[in-house]
Amino acid sequence: MRTLVLIPCYNEEENIRSVVERLQATCPDVDYLVINDCSTDGSEQVLRENGFNYLSLPINLGIGGGVQSGYRYAQANGYDIAIQMDGDGQHDPAYLHRVIEPVAKGELDMCIGSRFLEKEGFQTSFMRRLGIRIESALIRILCGKRILDVTSGFRACNSRMIAFFADHYASDYPEPEAILSATLNGFRVGEAPVLMRERQGGTSSIVGFKPIYFMIKVSLSLIVDRLAFSRKGGACK
Amino acid sequence: MSVTLQLELLLGSVCLLAVIFYMLKKNLLSVKYSLLWLFFAAALILFAAVPYVVYVLRDILNIEIPVNLVFVLLFCFVLLVLLSVSVAISQLAEKAKRLAQSNALLEKRVRELENKLDQH
Repeated sequence: MRTLVLIPCYNEEENIRSVVERLQATCPDVDYLVINDCSTDGSEQVLRENGFNYLSLPINLGIGGGVQSGYRYAQANGYDIAIQMDGDGQHDPAYLHRVIEPVAKGELDMCIGSRFLEKEGFQTSFMRRLGIRIESALIRILCGKRILDVTSGFRACNSRMIAFFADHYASDYPEPEAILSATLNGFRVGEAPVLMRERQGGTSSIVGFKPIYFMIKVSLSLIVDRLAFSRKGGACK
Repeated sequence: MSVTLQLELLLGSVCLLAVIFYMLKKNLLSVKYSLLWLFFAAALILFAAVPYVVYVLRDILNIEIPVNLVFVLLFCFVLLVLLSVSVAISQLAEKAKRLAQSNALLEKRVRELENKLDQH
């Protein structure tokens, strides 16, 4: 099975090298693609000098548009499985196979690496956990799917899911919205337990009171998504 | 509606129409987006030239003062235009995103081909 790891990267000059090298050392059998979302720091230079396999976006599209270009690349190059993994070192490639397994076995169309299934490793701040809980409950209400770690960017997709995401991928709050749209379109979505670490360097984009503001915006987007799109069952076949 | 208001309205809408045509001529406005504005300017001229239309509409919609009807319609029109502008922006954003992605995919291919050529 041809497997591609998508690593979105925005201003990660401190982390990106170690993330890619760790991935290559842990899983030498998988391909990877770093998606540089028009970073303003030296990320692109790091990628070029190390001879990494990367995509360089001419304008900043945000995480959704960036990851979608990765799915388009995966589709164009005929990959069977694509896995998203953050470029900040939060996701340990040692758990890659755990996330891939349900998809490779054909049990799921999309498998999300969840830090809350076994409640081990870095569990993030209280405010964020609260936000994630609320989003999780909201997704359960909107489409009946119980996913604990809805904001996790550690997720594996099969080729059907890749084709779907290459065409429709939410650009504003892609992680929870992708779960909702995939479920509504009849794809099987599930979780696998993983351990996450705290980001290694640089700063996160969501700090202070931002989680609350973020949560309200995500919730509204999810509700609008649900109202605007009806459930389709055919995509699974 | 007073005659003065009628004249002002007529003058204003003729000016608007002139501006729209000027912009069309200078290619500042595409025909697709000008249609809504042209329709609006034509309606305004109709109201100013034939106030009878406004009176009839006022009776149908049960609005006290005829000029209020003009204001209500103006407001509705502005809302409509704003919405159509949001639609246009959303479509443009989606197209720009697609283009940027395709550009990145092509850039990667070009970069790899160049590297291959350099090696030979």
